[in-house]
Amino acid sequence: MTRRRVDIAVYAAFILAIMLAPLFLEPFWLNRIAKYLVFGMLGIAVAMSWGYAGILNLGQGLFFGLGAYMLAMSLKLASPTSLQQGSDKPVPDFMLWNAEPGAKTDLCCINKASFLWIPFEHQWFGLLMGIVLPVAVATVLGLIMFRKRISGVFVSIITLALVLLVRLLVIDAQPLTNGFNGLTDLGWFKIGDFEFDPYIVPTYYLVAGTLAVILVAARLLVDTRAGLILQAIRDDQNRARYLGFDVPAYQTFFFAVSAGIASLAGMLYVIVAEFASPTFMDLSFSITMVVWAAVGGRASVLGACIGAIVINTLSAKVSETETFVEAWKVVIGLIFVLVVLYLPYGIAGLAHDLIDRITRRNRAHGATVRVDGADSVQAAAE
Amino acid sequence: MATAALTIDGLAVSFDGFKAVNGVSMIVEEGELRVLLGANGAGKTTLMDLISGKTRSTEGHVHLYNADITNFEEHRIARAGVGRKFQIPSVFKDLTVRGNLEVASCRNPGVLANLGFGFSSAARERVREVLELIGLSEQADTTAANLSHGQTQWLELGMLVVQNAKLLLLDEPTAGMTQAETHKTAEIINGLKGRHTLLVVEHDMAFVREIAERITVMHLGQVLAEGSVAEIETNPKVREAYLGSRGIS
Repeated sequence: MTRRRVDIAVYAAFILAIMLAPLFLEPFWLNRIAKYLVFGMLGIAVAMSWGYAGILNLGQGLFFGLGAYMLAMSLKLASPTSLQQGSDKPVPDFMLWNAEPGAKTDLCCINKASFLWIPFEHQWFGLLMGIVLPVAVATVLGLIMFRKRISGVFVSIITLALVLLVRLLVIDAQPLTNGFNGLTDLGWFKIGDFEFDPYIVPTYYLVAGTLAVILVAARLLVDTRAGLILQAIRDDQNRARYLGFDVPAYQTFFFAVSAGIASLAGMLYVIVAEFASPTFMDLSFSITMVVWAAVGGRASVLGACIGAIVINTLSAKVSETETFVEAWKVVIGLIFVLVVLYLPYGIAGLAHDLIDRITRRNRAHGATVRVDGADSVQAAAE
Repeated sequence: MATAALTIDGLAVSFDGFKAVNGVSMIVEEGELRVLLGANGAGKTTLMDLISGKTRSTEGHVHLYNADITNFEEHRIARAGVGRKFQIPSVFKDLTVRGNLEVASCRNPGVLANLGFGFSSAARERVREVLELIGLSEQADTTAANLSHGQTQWLELGMLVVQNAKLLLLDEPTAGMTQAETHKTAEIINGLKGRHTLLVVEHDMAFVREIAERITVMHLGQVLAEGSVAEIETNPKVREAYLGSRGIS
């Protein structure tokens, strides 16, 4: 019970800290921290699939990227520049740069595939697709992989190959996606008439609030019976199968939830960073996420989340000092190696051990008192 | 007449032409404990694989009570009421002992049905009973990875009991155990007789004598003989094929 109370206190303290941060930060840092909170969500997504489901997804950037692109398409059409292309309907500027001479300046026919952009004129369609598409991709991918009983390193290889493939496709589809340059010069996300300027406090709260909800929801989800069964499957798939559990259904479900969290993070990133780019689907980015989770503690959703935020904040601080810019990468690499060698469950694992030790000492102390009591009862009886 | 819990009818499987199990038929009655004997390669473990769905049979049928469970997927056979303990003990190492049993106690296997918290008081009571039965009440909050070999075996056995499997398939439940541990395992298994139907593969004859009622002897993928311990010990065919001329020692 004590352990549970400590957990609740730690979660509450974290949420309080991110909610109070705007009191101490100027807009520039507020925007930066908002980005790192988004990375914290990625940490949660990695912890869920790697730590709890035992699925090391090296292509989490795929879901982040898909979510980001979906919302960015809507925000691109909402950008003032899209209305200045000589048409009364919005058309992205890069489509004009790539258009064949004489093509009509309209999404219907400026190039062969531009019609795909038409429904994205509604921001909510972009937002919806930002969740639906990644989750659908994850579900189909999960069903195929897990029904075929692919596991371990092979899942990592497949997801890794897939993110690189999609990255290539996005870069290659220049007329549709602006290729290497990505989608830039975006409009602001709107709810009603309110515009989420990335440098204002309400935008920070949009991110922090979403993170708090996702964090608590993810923790509750892994605490359910299904979460326990998922961990059982991680430990021994076969044993779980012979207890009657449909193993692929569990794996696919949590893989898709993890993808959903990553895609939500992708969309929030677009709102605060104002661009979407194929770099989101770089291999290095997906691997970096795994490092955050490993350092923070992959078996703890909060640990992985804090790992992401702390590493990024430190990186930003340190890389401002010129001598450290390159050295920092070495330092991060070294920290990763040390954590993997000596702290398999990261900083959160270390914290759990300490909490356990303290609560156990308290309990042992209580036990001694009780034994003393029993002795005195006995003495009295004699 | 007693009800047949497990009916195997002409079951066979061939691996690239080699028939590891070749036309096995047997009936195990409800509440009975049946021991499967046989030399290495006689097809005992393969027979268990066929019943539990790990391997798909090429001929024949398996019935659990009145339900035909031939070649179902593993988790569906398990849900139908077949529990299997593996030769190499397999438990959920990073969960606590209690956690292991709680997972086994989930009555509804679906993901969405399990999106709730905690377990019913009936399930918790059941877990407590089984912890008692397998003698791990003290270790309930220990991580399963920290159990001894014998305790791990008992935990796995306990999971099948919590699962409430009608038929338990136990593959060498005393492998690697000390004498004291073997004796305790025999006690646990004897306690399950009557409430569950058991099919046990075992080599340790002292252990077999402690638990066995009826024995089925397999040889080269077929049933060689079936009978009580005394009948099997004196059966000349069994002596010749499996035990050697010195008898059961």
